[in-house]
Amino acid sequence: MKLTVNGVEHDVQAPQLASLLHVLREELDLTSPKAGCQQGGCGTCTVLVDGEPRRSCLLPLAAVEGAAITTVEGLGAADELSPMQAAFDEHYAAQCGFCTSGFLLAGTALLNGSPGATREEVLEALSGHVCRCTGYVKIVRAVEAALHGEVHPERVEASFEPEETEVLIPGSPA
Amino acid sequence: MAKHKGRGIATIEYPTGMNQNGDPSQAWVKLKPDGRVDLFSGTVDHGQGSRTVHAQIVADTLGVPFEWITNDNTNTDSSAVCTGSFASRGTFIGGNAVRFAAEKARERILEIASRELEIDPSDLDVIEGEVIAKGAPDRKISVPEVAAAATWTYGELITGTGAALKPFADVNDDDGSVETEPHSAISYAACVADVEVDDETGEVTVERLIQVYDVGRAINPMLVEGQIEGGAMMGLGLGLLEQAYPYYPETDHRGDEFGAYLAPSLEDLPDLDNVIIESPSADGPFGAKAIGEMANNAQPPAIASAIHDAVGVWVTEMPATPERILRAIDAKRDPRREGKRVVFDDELSVRTMSSTGGNGFLETDG
Repeated sequence: MKLTVNGVEHDVQAPQLASLLHVLREELDLTSPKAGCQQGGCGTCTVLVDGEPRRSCLLPLAAVEGAAITTVEGLGAADELSPMQAAFDEHYAAQCGFCTSGFLLAGTALLNGSPGATREEVLEALSGHVCRCTGYVKIVRAVEAALHGEVHPERVEASFEPEETEVLIPGSPA
Repeated sequence: MAKHKGRGIATIEYPTGMNQNGDPSQAWVKLKPDGRVDLFSGTVDHGQGSRTVHAQIVADTLGVPFEWITNDNTNTDSSAVCTGSFASRGTFIGGNAVRFAAEKARERILEIASRELEIDPSDLDVIEGEVIAKGAPDRKISVPEVAAAATWTYGELITGTGAALKPFADVNDDDGSVETEPHSAISYAACVADVEVDDETGEVTVERLIQVYDVGRAINPMLVEGQIEGGAMMGLGLGLLEQAYPYYPETDHRGDEFGAYLAPSLEDLPDLDNVIIESPSADGPFGAKAIGEMANNAQPPAIASAIHDAVGVWVTEMPATPERILRAIDAKRDPRREGKRVVFDDELSVRTMSSTGGNGFLETDG
């Protein structure tokens, strides 16, 4: 059957009940969706199906026929990050990176669907994603920065300054 | 039945690296002909940022911009040895190895620059990618020019190697006693936890964590902050949720799927207030100590202490699950008798509940 991923139409051979995650990773070699719990619980396999975040591990191929799939490979490139990617880079919102694809796509869906989301709505949108490192504070901050348009894609290097933590040096004037 | 607020405090100290000896880290630094720097170290970066921190240490030790450093730790076969990213040793021991390597490479830069400028190396300094004569800043040569001279004029390679290893302990053969410096450097931390405990369900909500960490020197404060925030959530998980074997050492009821193991989620995120204290170590790179492993050590005792403050019971096994808290509260609720009167603990609001399983109606005192 035909599957449109990141704007490219593919002729996939996998059986109709194969998971979308399996098809993306094994047949199309798109490895940004990660195979985490594979029970729909961790969020790291999230892709956008017609713009909506969906767990690709739970989606049979037959359910997405004709749909437009977006993975992180379709968001931006290393020298041209999407606003959400740039915000993650700027705010050090990825440590080991395993959960990052899912958070990026959940954040992107929020940015596209409800850019005026409140903090509670941001937490709600991200709450099905597990970060074991665990960088929730900076992930939430990055998503909020992207929603507020406070992103600087031209800044490739993350700032070395802490964002909120106070640094005290004993013996130095306060 | 009510919700009770409580506050708990815990302090910890944490050593960096392995005690005594046996955990070497090695590093190699070399300059390309255009002055850019290749750093080879074996330290694994699994997101904590050791590649960045090591590149910063090398850049500052050499006196060149950070952007000039390429940190290559990708080849496990040919990389310099690093015992591993554990025991909070990445910045202290791995970082010292790259610092020592960079110091030797810097000596070589000064040596070549000395030949070019005809100034003694001891009168030269490297600042922002330029070798400058002390006191005569117009007498200078850029590090790329020095690297080019080494390559094309002198046929030499500017390089330096470094290794860090705790010295072997002195063992007394007669009585077997061991004498050694106890640890490489000790980091200190404190954590204040504000919790709310529901005495009916046993649920604990951590509302706020105030965390203070002495890391010696925060070489990259943003990465340190990431470790502190991540450690806070891991510590919260250890204190309240995570349990691979509920009936350890019995393997019964062990989780066999993702959902059976409770890891902290966004829903559990408390307000976090972080403070970094910089009280430099004598021998770490730029005074650094460590942040890694200790970042999740202070929260479980602070939370346990806060639970005691809230409902007056000590939960002595982690995680402090609702079941354990309710059992502890139940044990505390057992009424005592004063003559013919049955008296419940006043600290708990148990007016309407019988701890004996509904066996008669008992009244609290007062």
